[in-house]
Amino acid sequence: MERPGKFILNLYPTTKFLFAFCLMMTPLLLPGYLYSYMVPVLCLVIALIAGKTKLYVNFVLKGLVPIVVMIFLLQSFFYPGDTVLWSWSIFSIKQEGIHFSLQLTSKILAIGSSIVLFFQITKINDLSRALELMGISPKATYVLSAALNIIPEMRLQLLRIMDAQKTRGVETEGSLTIRMKAFVPALTPLILSSFSSTDEKAITLESRAFTARTKKTSLHHLEKTKSDHVVRALLVIAVVSILIGRFFL
Amino acid sequence: MKNFKKDFTLISILLIPIGVAVNVVAGELVEILKIPLFLNQIGTMIVAMVAGPWVGAVTGGVSKLIFGIFNPTQLAFMPVAMASGIVVGLMAKKGFTKNAWKTAFTGFIVALVAILIATPTTVIVFGGASGTGSDTITAVLLASGKEIWASVFTQKIFVESIDKILSIMVAYMIVRKMSDQYLSKQKYGHLYLNMNQNKHNRKIGA
Repeated sequence: MERPGKFILNLYPTTKFLFAFCLMMTPLLLPGYLYSYMVPVLCLVIALIAGKTKLYVNFVLKGLVPIVVMIFLLQSFFYPGDTVLWSWSIFSIKQEGIHFSLQLTSKILAIGSSIVLFFQITKINDLSRALELMGISPKATYVLSAALNIIPEMRLQLLRIMDAQKTRGVETEGSLTIRMKAFVPALTPLILSSFSSTDEKAITLESRAFTARTKKTSLHHLEKTKSDHVVRALLVIAVVSILIGRFFL
Repeated sequence: MKNFKKDFTLISILLIPIGVAVNVVAGELVEILKIPLFLNQIGTMIVAMVAGPWVGAVTGGVSKLIFGIFNPTQLAFMPVAMASGIVVGLMAKKGFTKNAWKTAFTGFIVALVAILIATPTTVIVFGGASGTGSDTITAVLLASGKEIWASVFTQKIFVESIDKILSIMVAYMIVRKMSDQYLSKQKYGHLYLNMNQNKHNRKIGA
């Protein structure tokens, strides 16, 4: 169990991206929705092997399932069509609506779940290092990784501020107006204190020659291995055979 | 293009991750307090107000990217967030964030742009659904016989205008509370200097 999981997690970030990209694009090339519905299942299997099942399922359930359910409800009842499958007073489910929903949700599920999978098996620090090696400015990759690092820190700070404000007598539970009123006293100190920390951050980064125009070295080591080449070759073969099957046969 | 590069000073670049984190955390606070709004572009608006439209646009884009890690459907709305940043930044440059009424007007323009971009995205990409509570409005409108474009458009008018105007008012209040010393270091901070007439009322460091 350990080895195949390590194999997936240790792939080079761009290889993982190419893999996710292929999973996103092939449903758009192939007709019908059966294959597209296979993609989330395939992603689940990969998440299972990589040991990220819990997070993957959690994000798919929270992010994708509500919208898929809503599309089915909206489209099956209100899509223009004549073939009525089931009806109750003025509401009726139509064949055309179901068909349209199946087409649309299959693509959304396929693209959405491959994005979820990609971010679950890729560390953002690895991704930003890989982008840097591709020649993207370190400033841009700093923005990406700094944002992700600040969020948990700020979350803790928010809870601390909310506790402090509760002690002062700001109510956070009750009717909607009371809850709305609690929004500003909780947010203002958080935002002001985090924005004012930029000065120190600027000095710290500058003392480490962040803006110097030289080639930067990194302690973060990333290397393409043999398995990357194998996976990439397999992807190319898969995509080419799908293309040939779709357009020439 | 020259203006574009000029806006990205080191201090402005450092504002971007903080703006992004503020967006995410404010979005979570809304969930904790169970407020039926999004209010997840406050950071973008603050950054756009003090650091200009382009830095604001990048903040909006990166925050949708981060939101996308947890909920991939958010990625489709990246252009909306970027446009919000650009509009707020451009209006701020023209002095439209200097008092509460002008700021509310800016919020109205932002909402308008957001509605114009978000409606086609919702209809074409998600078949009119958004996976949030506001879908009930769309469903009611559809049931009353309106077609999908009109329903989503009306629903967005309700949701986006309240959301964007409230967000920008919060952003405005927070920018007003920033100290002059801090604002003077920002590219467009001079717009908000000397706004605090009653200085004795200001808390130190907050």
